[in-house]
Amino acid sequence: EVTLRFAHVDPDDWQSSKKGAAAQMFKQIVEGQSDMTVEIFPAGALGNEDEIVSQVQEGLVQVGMVSGAMSKVCKPAAVLDIPYTFADATVAWEVLDGPFGAELAEACEAKTGLKTLAYGETGFRNFTNGTRPIRTPEDMAGLKFRVQPIPLYLELVKGLGGEPTPIAWTELPNALATGVVDGQENPVGVIYNNGLHKLQKYMTLDGHVYGVDFLVMSTETFDMLSPEQQAVVTRAAVVAGNFGRSIQQWNTAGGISAVQEEGMEVYVPTAEELAQFREAAQPAVKEWLAGDLGADAEWIEKLDAAVADATD
Amino acid sequence: MSFAIVLVGTLAGLPIAFAIIAALMYFMITGDAPYHPRLVPSEMFKALGSFPLLAIPLFVLAGELMNESGITSRIIRFCAVLVGRLRAGLALVNIWASVIFAGLSGSAIADTSAIGRVFIPEMEKHGYDRAFAAALTAASSVIGPIIPPSIPVIIYALIVSGVSVPALFMAGVGPGLLLAVFLSIFVLTTVRVSDPEPGVDIMDGQSSAQALLGGIVPLLMPVFVVGAILAGVVTPTEAAALAVGYALVVGLVVYRKLGVHNLPRIFANAMVDSSIILIIMAAVGAANWVLTYNRVPNMLTDWVLANVDSKTAFLIAQMILFLVVGLFLEGIAAMLVLVPILHPIAVAFGVDPTHFGIIVIFNLMIGLITPPLGLCLFVAEGVANVGMTRLVRAIIPFFVVELLVLVILTFVPAFSTWLPRALGF
Amino acid sequence: MSTLSFLVRRILAIGCGLIMAAITGIILVNALRRYTFGLSLTWGEELPVYLSIYGVMFGVALSYLQDRHMRFTIVTDFLSPALRERLFLAMDVVTAVCGGLLCWSGWLFAMRRGTIEASGLIGAANSLAESTGLAWLVWIGRMGTWQFALCVGGALLLLAAAIRFSERLRDLRNPIHETAPTASDTVRMRARGQASLD
Ligand code: NA
Ligand code: NA
Repeated sequence: EVTLRFAHVDPDDWQSSKKGAAAQMFKQIVEGQSDMTVEIFPAGALGNEDEIVSQVQEGLVQVGMVSGAMSKVCKPAAVLDIPYTFADATVAWEVLDGPFGAELAEACEAKTGLKTLAYGETGFRNFTNGTRPIRTPEDMAGLKFRVQPIPLYLELVKGLGGEPTPIAWTELPNALATGVVDGQENPVGVIYNNGLHKLQKYMTLDGHVYGVDFLVMSTETFDMLSPEQQAVVTRAAVVAGNFGRSIQQWNTAGGISAVQEEGMEVYVPTAEELAQFREAAQPAVKEWLAGDLGADAEWIEKLDAAVADATD
Repeated sequence: MSFAIVLVGTLAGLPIAFAIIAALMYFMITGDAPYHPRLVPSEMFKALGSFPLLAIPLFVLAGELMNESGITSRIIRFCAVLVGRLRAGLALVNIWASVIFAGLSGSAIADTSAIGRVFIPEMEKHGYDRAFAAALTAASSVIGPIIPPSIPVIIYALIVSGVSVPALFMAGVGPGLLLAVFLSIFVLTTVRVSDPEPGVDIMDGQSSAQALLGGIVPLLMPVFVVGAILAGVVTPTEAAALAVGYALVVGLVVYRKLGVHNLPRIFANAMVDSSIILIIMAAVGAANWVLTYNRVPNMLTDWVLANVDSKTAFLIAQMILFLVVGLFLEGIAAMLVLVPILHPIAVAFGVDPTHFGIIVIFNLMIGLITPPLGLCLFVAEGVANVGMTRLVRAIIPFFVVELLVLVILTFVPAFSTWLPRALGF
Repeated sequence: MSTLSFLVRRILAIGCGLIMAAITGIILVNALRRYTFGLSLTWGEELPVYLSIYGVMFGVALSYLQDRHMRFTIVTDFLSPALRERLFLAMDVVTAVCGGLLCWSGWLFAMRRGTIEASGLIGAANSLAESTGLAWLVWIGRMGTWQFALCVGGALLLLAAAIRFSERLRDLRNPIHETAPTASDTVRMRARGQASLD
């Protein structure tokens, strides 16, 4: 009798939450096609992402779906956060589901004992602000943007000419309402679901960072399963990751219409403008990242090559 | 076995936090993998490692600084000018001084000891029964953690997702005032003391104008601190730090009753007092993780939803449960254990989360004046020295009044939800 | 033993006071800085949080020495003072065991994955280590340093319980114990002098 505990930090609801959707799909398939049971622990019931990662490593939790926490334990994964790397989501899917994704998964498994069964997505992040429409990096000059307290994001905003201000997520609405910061950056779904569009007038769909979800299981747990069970789990994970991606796409598309209906001005940068963003932000971030990664810096070139292949 | 350790340990007088830790250690050491003893410190670390939690030591510190800066006498004089000349004036001053005190500190115990030391002898001098004076002091100090700022509210918002500290703070204003009004009505209808010149002794030779002016400094503190949170300028934690700054300025510069040499003792004391609560939070946090991991809350929720068939039945059941638990358990500890389980059930029954938070906190704070474990009762008895039996007899009518207010608050959510809604939370 | 007890109390109190002051200072400065310059320190939230964990650990040991912990007194208050003190003596032993277990498991916890970086602190820690040339300062930015607080806390609790045990034993050999205060007396006496929670 095998029970798989599946933990994530998103809401349980599959229609509004990509991880919720992925977890439910995983449960549906595994329980339908094997004698295993899946227990879902949504909404951070067992802890935040860092804690979920360590609980999966400990074997307390068998399956976890995490985004940002992965690069903290497996540094090469941080290269996925290099801004303006993926032109659109389909490119990211091709890269992650292809040889690059497999190689990254292997490297991370060797480093952390965590097997990446599949990739999902948390979506592209975009800038919003309350001062003026942003069409090129010049428009960002002098604006204060709330960022997560992560060095890469500080470098990114600095590179674009804005002033990065690390503020905790919970105080973001207050900081926007009172003008402590002028803007912020998040995926559209997050912006809409948390009502940030009511506090901000302008959004630029620059898609600076593509957020990746990692559906992980520890090597130890995986090896304890029978070959049949392993096959079911792997298959279920891939479908779950894709279901998460689809739900994420659905919510982003709907979110863009919804924020516009509620009065937000959404700007879609042209290819030339995006190139300006990339030129302004990428060198600084890559230089910083290369220093931070040390021996793992080769992953920057590996990713560039994989993206070039996928774009051809 | 783990439950037996908690039960026997606590009954034998082992501090609650250590009884829980001992039980968890036993569970982890004897349990099969993946259980491991290192999970206990790991989960305790997680429970303690949160920025909002820091509001607790900071508000404790602000309260202790305020207490030592000579603010109590100013609050009392201020209230004496406003309600002191009415019939049963001193009793009314006692109640309304607690309301203002409530805006300064999140602690009922501080209120009982500060106000009790002045009022219990004073009221006796004017012909009140000493036990009645002590009971009134304890009963009115329950207002303290209901009106913001409030430590139980901060803890409540931490253990439940989907309720915010500002909303709960605002939701407490109405219930706190309602309790003050009910206690005032009770005092006015039952007390026969003529209480001729109530102001004379406590005015300290000051005129009404001076007393009103002196009340500005303490009254500004809640405006300033709670206002900053509502305006969204600062988080509750930062507001608590600002409150400390304000109390320091008032104590060192404005009233000059506080010396720099007092500060090390007060700062250390605040950390120690908070650690008593925080270590219980850490232990309960670890225990809650084990329970969640084994899906105990889900099972309890399913059971309640299958057996309790209406919102009214649920509200009555939870009211009785918290009242009984409040008799024996310290309020915050009770909240930490029960709220994570009952909150989702309340939401499932369509109870407004903010409303539910306030009635739970109000209910548990009533436990402060009930034997056998009522901290305000102990404190009032310590000040009044009338014997526990006499005091308990005197407190029964007040307990009934507070129960009545609790029932009203439970079934008329508007008292709690009106203000936060009006302010857009 | 009384010198040791005095010394331990003093050190713990100083630790608590300093940590409380540091927490207040950092949070105040950070809030004012953000409001005036719109910039906050990257470590302005994590550092006070982790410091407070050490503060709690010191406070837990000190309040044990002062018999200030929250405990049930329903049963114990009915016992005769002599019997009650004997029971509390036994509870000191249980607490000491508890402290020892916490120290040991806290060690295992901190050693497990202690090298993980604390995202808000690592940047500041690295630049501090670079500018001072002291390589060990990077440990300010690693989780293990802060997770170690539980191990320290367990050891301090063990020490506090041992001191309290010997003090109680001494009191018990001394006839004054007949009038020893009950636990709820302690709550009452404490409340007369100072504020507490709720
Ligand atoms: Na209050
Ligand atoms: Na009680």
